[in-house]
Amino acid sequence: MTERVVIVGGGIAGVSTAASLRAQGFGGEVILVDAGEFPYDRPPLSKDFLTGSKDIKQIALQPAQWYDDQHVRLINRTTVTALRPRDGAVELTGGQLLPADRVVLATGGGAARPPIPGLADPRVHVLRTADDADRLRLSLTPGARVLVVGAGLIGAEVASTAVRLGCEVVLVDPVGVPLAAALGLELAAWLHALHDRHRVTTVRATVESFTNRPEGIEAVVDGVAGVHDAVVLGVGMVPSTELAEAAGLEVDRGILVDERQVTSNPAVLAVGDPARLRGVPRTEHWEAAQQDGARAAATILGTPAPVPTAPWFWTDRHGRHIEAVGHMEAAAHTVIRGSFDDPTFSVFGLQDGLVVAAASVDDPSAVRAARRLIDRRIPVVADRLADPAVNLRGLLRG
Amino acid sequence: MSNGIRVAALDDIPQGEGIAVDKAVTGTADDIALLRDTDDTVYALDDTCTHETASLAEGWVEDGYVECPLHSSRFCLKSGEVQGLPATKNACPHRVEVRDGEVYLFPGESP
Repeated sequence: MTERVVIVGGGIAGVSTAASLRAQGFGGEVILVDAGEFPYDRPPLSKDFLTGSKDIKQIALQPAQWYDDQHVRLINRTTVTALRPRDGAVELTGGQLLPADRVVLATGGGAARPPIPGLADPRVHVLRTADDADRLRLSLTPGARVLVVGAGLIGAEVASTAVRLGCEVVLVDPVGVPLAAALGLELAAWLHALHDRHRVTTVRATVESFTNRPEGIEAVVDGVAGVHDAVVLGVGMVPSTELAEAAGLEVDRGILVDERQVTSNPAVLAVGDPARLRGVPRTEHWEAAQQDGARAAATILGTPAPVPTAPWFWTDRHGRHIEAVGHMEAAAHTVIRGSFDDPTFSVFGLQDGLVVAAASVDDPSAVRAARRLIDRRIPVVADRLADPAVNLRGLLRG
Repeated sequence: MSNGIRVAALDDIPQGEGIAVDKAVTGTADDIALLRDTDDTVYALDDTCTHETASLAEGWVEDGYVECPLHSSRFCLKSGEVQGLPATKNACPHRVEVRDGEVYLFPGESP
């Protein structure tokens, strides 16, 4: 019987595991070990937290009282340095052993650092933690020349925030239309073009080198040198698998887990960014991490796992809110509801009369409806889906 | 004990959806969402999602829960207990009764 669960890492996956254990009636000890002061939410780091309009307390994942109320023991400012499955314990900074019947690895990941010469300059930033955001914020002053490398979710959000703060922003990515696979080509192209309309200069290229100059950091982009006050790398993440590897768990581009989040050691589970379900790519989205936590809790309790739903993510840039659900790459064709010039519109991906994906701009309700159409496999007529006058909730009733 | 305020006919609320009752009617600090579950039971919660500004009356009501239309926070219809981040605070529930197809609200009373 599991009496003590130790969760390593207080991101959304770790905190969701703790919350789900209690919500599902776990009566044993729940201990959450986190390197920071308290667990906080990461999506605001590139948005409201980066602008300074929200402080760290305002992005706490749970209020301080919650840990007492839920009998979750938070060991903060502490790192787990080793898993000791044979001792039934984890080792903390300083060598202290913390007994654990089950360990849940919610270790997250670090920012990817491509092998570009000169990358070790202090003016080159990444954005994974609140400390990263605090440092970067100091550079985002009006008129600052900022180079953002990578035009995916984080890079695009940082570029949007920086330009809003008055910076001169150049956004570089070798991909012509970033996010095309996730959003469909049309919407992704519209979204990328939004940068130019908001004074962000987009460049399709790769960065070759960085050099420290008296006047700033020089970046060579496809042979052309430019000087910047700050550089932000948003080129993806590397899962934190060191603990798992050192403990002899199976690791292959992520900590390998089964559909119940169990690693190759039955006493150890993994959730969120570092976990990879055998045979499929890792997912790095907020809600996927939350669902991993709920599934891990069910495994520990021996209860049925929650039914998986179509994957969902959101992003915000230049004042527009974008959401996507499902697998756009699986769509045979797309249907546009509204027009790209409208204040709100959506794109639905269809296959054999079923919705398989949707993406919306400033219309989250369309994505809520789409998710239900996908999950319940409700047949739709494309023309009705395309008609903004047709209530999407009505389509759910068939 | 009052008989409550008659705020709607049951048929005014589509199954799986909600409608908001203005705070001027309820005398409460917030509007109150009347939420009709998929089994036709009607519940009442403070209308504003405790995470941000969205109206729970515009949310998705199913199987004992309401999901916020904006960021997908989930609340238990019966107790208002928050079941899913990003919200971390419970929603305030109110007693509601359906009699002869009419919905009566008891603002401030526990269900």
